[in-house]
Amino acid sequence: MLTYILRRILFMVPVTLAISLVAFIIIQLPPGDFITALTAQMAENNETLDPETLAALRDRYGFDQPMIVQYWKWITGIVFRGDFGQSFEWSRPVADLIWDRLGLTLIVSFATLVFVWVLAFPIGIYSAVRQYSWGDYIATFFGFIGLAVPNFLLALVLMYLSSRYLGASVGGLFSAEYVNADWSWGRVVDLLNHLWVPVIVLGTGGTAALIRIMRANLLDELKKPYVELARARGLSETRLLLKYPVRVALNPFISTLGWILPTLVSGAVVTAIVLSLPTSGPLLLNALFAQDMYLAGGFILLLSILTLIGTLVSDLLLAWLDPRIRYE
Amino acid sequence: MTHHPRSSWTSVPLRVAACGVALAFAMGASAWAQPYSEAPMLAEQVAAGTLPPVDERLPDDPLVEVPLESVGTYGGTWRQALRGGSDNLIERTVGYTRLARWNREWTDVIPDVAESFTVNDDATEFTFQLREGHRWSDGEPFTSADILFWYNDVLMNEALTPEVPSWLQSGGEPVMVEANGDHEVTFRFAEPNALFLSNMATVRGAAILAASPRHYLEQFHADYNDQADAMAQEAGSADWVQHFTTRVEYPHSRWRDADRPSLDAWVLTEPYDGSGQVVAERNPYYHKVDPEGQQLPYIDYVTFDVMESRQSIVLMAINGELDFQNRHIETADARPLIVQNQEQGNYDLWIAQPAWSNAMMINLNQTHKDPVLREIFSDRDFRVGLSHAINRDELNQIIYAGVAPPYQAAPRPGTELYDEEMATQYIEHDPALANEYLDQVVPERDQDGFRLRPDGERLSFAVNVLNSRQFQIDALELVRGYWADVGIEMFVRPLERSLSISLRQANDHDANVWIGGGGYDRLGLLDPKWYFPFEWQSSYAGAWGIWAQNPNDPNAEEPDETVLRALNLYRQVQATPDLEGQLDLMRQILEITEEQFYVIGTNMEPDRVGIVNADLRNVPDAMPNTYFYMTPGPAAAEQFYYVN
Repeated sequence: MLTYILRRILFMVPVTLAISLVAFIIIQLPPGDFITALTAQMAENNETLDPETLAALRDRYGFDQPMIVQYWKWITGIVFRGDFGQSFEWSRPVADLIWDRLGLTLIVSFATLVFVWVLAFPIGIYSAVRQYSWGDYIATFFGFIGLAVPNFLLALVLMYLSSRYLGASVGGLFSAEYVNADWSWGRVVDLLNHLWVPVIVLGTGGTAALIRIMRANLLDELKKPYVELARARGLSETRLLLKYPVRVALNPFISTLGWILPTLVSGAVVTAIVLSLPTSGPLLLNALFAQDMYLAGGFILLLSILTLIGTLVSDLLLAWLDPRIRYE
Repeated sequence: MTHHPRSSWTSVPLRVAACGVALAFAMGASAWAQPYSEAPMLAEQVAAGTLPPVDERLPDDPLVEVPLESVGTYGGTWRQALRGGSDNLIERTVGYTRLARWNREWTDVIPDVAESFTVNDDATEFTFQLREGHRWSDGEPFTSADILFWYNDVLMNEALTPEVPSWLQSGGEPVMVEANGDHEVTFRFAEPNALFLSNMATVRGAAILAASPRHYLEQFHADYNDQADAMAQEAGSADWVQHFTTRVEYPHSRWRDADRPSLDAWVLTEPYDGSGQVVAERNPYYHKVDPEGQQLPYIDYVTFDVMESRQSIVLMAINGELDFQNRHIETADARPLIVQNQEQGNYDLWIAQPAWSNAMMINLNQTHKDPVLREIFSDRDFRVGLSHAINRDELNQIIYAGVAPPYQAAPRPGTELYDEEMATQYIEHDPALANEYLDQVVPERDQDGFRLRPDGERLSFAVNVLNSRQFQIDALELVRGYWADVGIEMFVRPLERSLSISLRQANDHDANVWIGGGGYDRLGLLDPKWYFPFEWQSSYAGAWGIWAQNPNDPNAEEPDETVLRALNLYRQVQATPDLEGQLDLMRQILEITEEQFYVIGTNMEPDRVGIVNADLRNVPDAMPNTYFYMTPGPAAAEQFYYVN
């Protein structure tokens, strides 16, 4: 097992490098460069920059060099000096920018994850066990609504309602007085007061999907002979349910756990933009729009590494959970 | 041509102005010492001994700013919202400080940081008097040596400024700057540079003071600090040049650094670095007082929430979370919400007068790379025919809710350059007349009724439009129908902005639409790109515009005789010291523009609205809305104040 893990980790190195190269090229595929994007953004607002300024910027950032040279500088900086370069748009080191956003991003993502799982598992199990009951119909009804309503729309509606009727400030994760404050009890409470909107918005779709998957999986399992056998052996209904069919029905969740890791960092970009969350999603999207390639590249590199790690972790978890697929 | 601040405020109530003048005379420069007063938050610091008294902080002869309506009281926060990471609202509000700036009415340039300025008769020498005792926001003296640092060590340093911006050049030579003593600087040009002061009042002028605080910037400069490169690398920059420029440069990056001393009314305490709200607090050394000797600004703090979408900024506005703003909330789709929720949000409206005349100009590329299209687009009759085919009244009703009357790309009514004939030529919707004109250029049609090019193919072209401007996409769809009625096949092509710009810069577009086309007099003088091919954005003749900007560009093409004549006239504008002379030359340029009919205008750009907290005072009811005016900078936010 240990050699297996080691081999997987070793294999991740060339894969990461390959991803970084592809990412770097894709980021630069759109016409123009950061300067073009900047010009375009300003032109859209009927603003202009002097051509001399633009030429100076282009020269300073080395956009005139061939792409492979730029890539080489970037990747060697990361590998040998841990230097992810500087964001053109923000004039700050990329690592600082990403790091700044990471904390709150993880808080929002974990809260959402917990919300989804806490809600979806009991409901999913219930709708499977009590199939076609009133409770199942209600859960199914709301589940489909949750699946069908786009997140950004739900975000806009909740934002409008909460600002209209609750007088809450719009968007963000903090009230004005706590935005730049240091951490304190008041700030935590303020965060919790704001957190529910993004958690509900981000969680509804996931909850609904999870309920449906759980229900479908469990329904398959419940009809299998081993359930019958366990019941015949006189196992209590709860113990029987949780120990065998639910455990098997968990398989798809564990095997997709690897995908959660990257979405923890970059998930829900559109929602984050609508709600103006200070998370990493909007930063990544803007970096791509602005062709701020070191920032975008840094993000994509981080995301791909997280995906690789996540896949490994979920493979290991799956092996631990389900003896049938253990690697001998 | 000498300016003194008070003489330029023509619109203030006479009584208040007279009172300010009387006070100034009665006290004399040094006798002001007694009545100066300051904000409570600064008085506390003075009492605690952490700040020198107000008399020592103010220049010997501060600028007495006469308020728009009334003398105010201290306190409060001006809340605004930014969008994303590269918004220039801070530059327009907190950062609107220059040696000389626009007056409110956008009719003149008035002293700001400079106490006064003089211009010689041929506009080659501009001398600025600085204020004795003027200090940076950290308390260090501000003198001519600071300006010289900008000139010698930033502008003339080839690493920092590879090419001197054109507004600081004349006759191909960069400006010369000399100090005469500690409090006088002279800008000397090789040839007349009549628009120098106007340019300084736009976004360009801020570059000088941003790069002037030598006592702070020297540490980042390799000529002054051997360790500058090492310091830069430690901070994550590639070299000292990058490290230095990100501190002083426009766009945006100069607001990433909260340590840079400034002469603005407010100074940053939380920078615009993507990590949270941007905060600025009053500059204790600000150089202006009101007629009663109260040091400005009245408002204590300025905050900018960094939002990611326009919608959330609109929601903030109607929720009463913004105090004075038009940026991001002025779009046509937001207007009904903004107007309806005045009571809930406790705000009033002010008019943001669009500086451009046209909500949608159609630019057919007369320098198209396809010679057949080029010839057709270049034919004036073709454009006149297309213009007559457009039903502008219907566009006005359907797209603009009836507030955008038909108009060509011409100066706005009420300006010096306004010309009714130019504004209304070929504006009637008359398909029969349109067909007559078009028949002279492309008479043949195919079996579907569409007109054929001389080479027998169907005449067909795409009009590029930004995908973010839904109203233009909708309007173009209607235009497509009008043109199909007269046998012209046009496609509407919505594009992402970077792609759209790349195509234009490479002269690779058939046609595009844009907001623009004439406007205010000052705008025409500073930015004539919709009057004749002047830069790449003049997309009705892309290759010529590119040539006017840079003849060596691979996509540049030498323009025809007429355009060269217009360019030449504009060079004369740049060399003509007096405004009347400049406007006379502009009229000659406009004759060419009217005759050439480069651009097909549709409807007049309607007024937009901004919001102002109902408790905020000294705010104008209306102001021009453009980057060249730096809206709302010249409204002088330092004299805004809250009642209650």
